Order: sequence, then structure tokens, then C-alpha cells
Amino acid sequence: MPRRLLFLTLTVALLLLGIGQSPPQARSRERAAAPATDPYEESDEACAIDAAMIAALQEQFQAGGVLADNWPPDALGGLVPPLRSVHDPYPTYDGLAFDPLAGRVIMSDENRHSMLVYDRTAGSASTAVTEPIQQIFGRRTQIGFVAGVEVDPVRQEFYTVNNDGGDKLVVFTYDQQGDVVPTRSLVTPHQSWDVALAPKRDEIAISVQQSNAISFFRRAASGHDAPVRTIRGLSTELHDPHGVFFDEQHNEIITANHGNWTQIRPYTSYDPLVTDVGEYKPGAFYLPSITFHRADANGDVAPLRVIQGSLTRLNWPMGLDLDAQRGEIAVANYGDDSILVFARGGGGDVQPTRVIRGPATEIVGPISVAIDAKNDEIWLANYGDHTALVFPRTAAGNVKPKRIIRNAPAKTPTCGFTNASAAAFDTKRDALLVPN
Amino acid sequence: MFARLANGNVAPIRTIEGQATNLSRTMHGLAYDAVNDEIIVPVALSGAILIFRGDAAGETPPIRVIQGTRTGLVRPQTIAVDAVNDEILTADPARRSVFVFDRTATGNVPPKRVITGPKTGLVDIVGVAVDPLRNRIVASSRKGNGATGLFVFDRLANGDVPPRAFIGGPKSKLAHFRQVAIDPATGNIFLAQQNTRMKREEAYVLDKPRENFKEEKDEEDGDDSARLDQMGFIAVYGPDDNGDIPPRAIIKGPGVRYAGAGGVALNPKKGELFAVGGNGFQTFLVPEFFKPFSRPPTTLQPGGR
Repeated sequence: MPRRLLFLTLTVALLLLGIGQSPPQARSRERAAAPATDPYEESDEACAIDAAMIAALQEQFQAGGVLADNWPPDALGGLVPPLRSVHDPYPTYDGLAFDPLAGRVIMSDENRHSMLVYDRTAGSASTAVTEPIQQIFGRRTQIGFVAGVEVDPVRQEFYTVNNDGGDKLVVFTYDQQGDVVPTRSLVTPHQSWDVALAPKRDEIAISVQQSNAISFFRRAASGHDAPVRTIRGLSTELHDPHGVFFDEQHNEIITANHGNWTQIRPYTSYDPLVTDVGEYKPGAFYLPSITFHRADANGDVAPLRVIQGSLTRLNWPMGLDLDAQRGEIAVANYGDDSILVFARGGGGDVQPTRVIRGPATEIVGPISVAIDAKNDEIWLANYGDHTALVFPRTAAGNVKPKRIIRNAPAKTPTCGFTNASAAAFDTKRDALLVPN
Repeated sequence: MFARLANGNVAPIRTIEGQATNLSRTMHGLAYDAVNDEIIVPVALSGAILIFRGDAAGETPPIRVIQGTRTGLVRPQTIAVDAVNDEILTADPARRSVFVFDRTATGNVPPKRVITGPKTGLVDIVGVAVDPLRNRIVASSRKGNGATGLFVFDRLANGDVPPRAFIGGPKSKLAHFRQVAIDPATGNIFLAQQNTRMKREEAYVLDKPRENFKEEKDEEDGDDSARLDQMGFIAVYGPDDNGDIPPRAIIKGPGVRYAGAGGVALNPKKGELFAVGGNGFQTFLVPEFFKPFSRPPTTLQPGGR
């Protein structure tokens, strides 16, 4: 069976290329024990997984379907090995939440679909990989192309929401480890991005990009529980919402908006064509903004105030956090590799009160921030650099981070895209173009 | 942008991003116009089409933007460019339509032609490609429990017209696919299929829970691309293929397993195919895919819808 042999050879070869399903940090642990080894070398744990995978592939191979020898009949190609493969085998940090009670920092990993938990003192000036104290990874976790993270310090639970690849919010506890089923999960609207907790109201808020909406659920909602209310509509000024913070003290929902807007209509393969939308409103590009709505708002409700304009320096604002003591909002400003800090009560075209930005900061594609008021620190998750950074809480300007948390050895590149589903070849420059 | 010869864990050689670009972080289509050296991108979240210079980098504004009431666009998902006839094609699943604009159009302009209506069979259109030599438009479209596959139209089709050919059905194994591309020399049609499971009904209609929704129990639901029994593939068809037929050529198995390829790009000159999906891409050397197929398709069933 030469084709079958070829198939198995291909499988092993691909796994050795580092595109297998081994836990991301298994690689880092092995490197810590033997730093001179090839970074793509597999651990014993990974080899066991590989053996199981090969066995499963063999079974599928014999069972028919796409993998069967005789399908498609007489076709060219088949089990063709790739000439080249571009793939980042390491995690990329995305969402981030801080637990002041347990001193833990929880980050989501969009690249390898995992959750990584660190002690709040983690990180150093070292170039080595930082060991997490807890990691959730594997098919049973239901973690897809994950985005925002929230933590419930009292119940010692953390939440994360899939932006794509399974429209769910999944909840895990501090004592879970590895490939585990979430403690509970909640089906969410497609393109949900961030989640924020309101412990006193016992609610969670979820931002939904394509619907330009904030949906509120009971904190313990699960399965197909419906939202208890939704802020959505032309008056809301929600435009491609991303980061969201539930400010219970002031009864406000704070949202970072990218500025994209379209009069979204159902579009999937099960939905009928919808034409009865009233006046057709064309798509629009608005300026990015921070919106403040009443936290108990429902429906098409205007914001209480909006931070927006050229002075704000907002540029693809992503996650945000509130420093309640200082009355400040910190924003991960992806578009210009910075952290912007605004006065909480501000509105209009206002300058940030502080900006952390510059080559010394090592900020590259920031996605989320969290304030550690107890220890006077601010955390940042970098999407573009396999790092998270810790700065003094009141840092400003082009300052070095206090500590760096790494999920890959220093200077490890990253492809910079996730969940791509299109490409084009640039014949003039001999290059492949990929949209994120 | 990645160098053609990129291999391993590498950073892009160039990136277009930031507020001034008007791009979003959610884009499902891309086309390159080699004749005019332009990059064309649909922005689903802003109902817009952006055109950039071919060498654009960093936070660079587009040189043209198609957006506004006259465009009819709501959620343009996928894009193609016809440099021979100077046209840009986009498909908008929220409008169940393929729109054709003048290539140099900018601002609030109406489309030249729109393929739309019940006769077209188009529903969730996720890919579009154009063959200017054979005067054809190919759209990949999915319909829950309905006609799911490749819809081939005359290039000048306009209004509510049936496709001249349709590739789909159980023998095709087409189900959850995305981008379609055409080799201009042979007219061969390439399709990236993420997995072989028909897309399930979503629990929500936008931000509203779907009425009478029933969940299909599947503990391992989520990242469909990794299901061993539902692996995706890259399929290739001849320009005149029609019916419920298997591909003429295929890339399947572990080579495309992890990508769950949703995107496909071609470099006919070198006989290379790029399969893009998930968080990476693979390059395959398949020069035989860029030659005319010499035999008739297997189990040809015209009109197999």
C-alpha cells in the first residue's frame, strides 16, 4: 500500500514541522530542560498524541470518505505534501484579565486556542519562556478563535469568548488544567469579542462586532440562555465594538469602538433574504471612539458621552480597563502600538492624560490591558510579539517595561494573522497577500 | 504580505493596518490586480470596497473607496478583479447578490450589473472569481439543506438569471467551503473547502436568538477543521464541468488538515498553489493542476442541483 505509507510519512513529517496539536507550552518546558535542542522538537507527551492521531488517521483512511484511496476517482493529486509551510507554533496573547485576590493574570491565546494563567509576579528581563501556572488547551475546551477575557475573583472562575470558530463563551475554574470541558458555556452571537462582569448586578456584558451591539446576560447563563437586554441601534454610536468594561460604581458600560458600521442583515445559509429594513443606510467609517452608556440601558439608546476625535489618538482601540481609584481608563491602542489613558469622566475630542508609547516600551500590537491597583502596575497583552508587558501604573512616555512575560523565546517571529480565509498572489513582488 | 518562499514561523514582510487604512480586523476577501498593480479588499463591517496601491504599507489610506447608498452594498464578503474588462466583482451574502463595478469606480457609485434573485440560487456567497477569457463568473455559495456548491454564470449576466452550470451534490462532497480562484490560462476552477460538514444552523440571527433553535449535540464541536472524519481539501474542476461530480484534482489529507483551508491563491507560472486557513498557509507544487484536463469528468450529471 504505497499510498498509505506515503500518507503516514506525510503525517509524521507535518507533525515534526511543528503544526501538530501538542500543547504550546509542552515545547517550552522541553526547551527549558534542554535549551540547545531544536525548538520544534516534540515532547514525549506530544509523541503519544501523535501516535493516537496516526492510529485515528489510519482508521479514517480505511473507512472511506475524503481520505479513502478511491476518492475522488481518477483524480490528480491526492495526499500531496506541502512544499513549504508557514505557521506559528507558539501562543499569541489576546485577552487579559487580572485577579487581585489570587494574584493571577489570565490571558487568552488566539493562535493555539488556549488559556494561559500566570502568577502576578511572573515575568522578568529574561529572554526565556515564562512558565504559566495553569493552562487550558485541547479540543474538549471548546476554545476557538478566542478574544476577550474576564475573571470572577470570588468564584475563582474565568471567562473567555470565541470571536469565531464556535460561537461560545466558555468558563473555567482555577483548579482545571489541560484538555478539560468548560465548567459551563453559553452560546453567543457571532463575532462576540469581549466579556465584562458585573458582580453586584450578577450580569455579564458581551460586545458583538458585526451587530454593533452590547448584549447582557445573567452571570450564570449557560446553554442557549437569551440575553436579558441588548444595546443596539443607530442612536447607540456603537461602531464595531471591541473592549467592554462594566463600571458598576457609576452604572456605565464603557466600550472601545473601531468605527466600522453597516446596517447588518442576516446573511447565513439558513436565513431568508431580508429586504424590509426601512430606509437603507449605507456602510460608513466613523472615527474610533470610547462610548459610555447607562449600564441598565436597553435598545436603541444614545450614549451618555463619547470620547472621539483627532486629539484622542485612538487607533483601532481594543481592550480597556478602569482604574477606579484614579478615575482613569486605560486603552490598548493597537493601531499605533500604545496604551492611552483617559479621565473616566471625559468626553468629546480630548487628549489622553498619559500615553505609553515608543521603541523602549516594546509594545507591538496591543490587544488588552488590566490595572493592578494593589501593586501599582498595568499589564498589557501584545499580539505581535509573543509577550505580555508590565509597566508601573502611572508610567508615561517611552518607558521600558518592568517585566516581560514570554510565551516563546525572545525575538520569535509571529505570522501576524489568525483565522484567515482568503489570499491572493502578487505576481509583481512574488509575494502572498493574506487578509486577517 | 509574505515572501513566496516563506517557510516556517516567519513574520510578514509588509503589513497594511491601522485606522487610516479603513480596513477592519475582519476581512474575508482579497484580490490582486497585476495589470494595474492594485490590492482590492472588501470590508464586510463597513459595506465598502477598498483599493490600495500594490506597494502600500503601514497605515496608508486606500486610493479609492466604493461605499454609499448607490452601491447597494451591505456586507461584501469576497472579491475578484477582471483587469481585462476593467471590472471589480464582489459578492454580498446579506444581499444574496454578486455586484459588478467599474474597476476605477470610487465613492457612492451604482454597480454596472447585479446577479441576484431566486433563479440564481445564490444564498451565502463566500467566494467569487472571474474568467475574462471564457467570459464566466464563478461564485461559491452555501444554502442550508439546499444547493451548495459552485455556481457558474455568464460574465455579463445581470438580474435574476439561472447559472449556466452548477457543481455540487453528495458526490461532490462540497459543503463548508470559501474562496474560489480561476487559473486564467486553462480556466481550471480551484476551491478551498474547510471541511465536509454542511454548515449548521446558527443559534443566533445576528444578535437575536433564533426561534425554535435545536442544538445538534456534538461534544467536539468548534474547530471543524480538525475533525479527522470531516477534513477539508482543495478541489479543482475543469472550466466546463457541471453537475454532482467529484473534483478532477485534489489536495487532501494532513497537508491541508491543520489549515482547514478557507483561502486559495495561485501562482501558475511556478505551478504553485497556496492554501490559507486558520493561522498559517501551505504551499504546494502541483504543475499538473495548471494544465487542461484531458478526460471527461467522472460521473457527469448535468444539472445536478
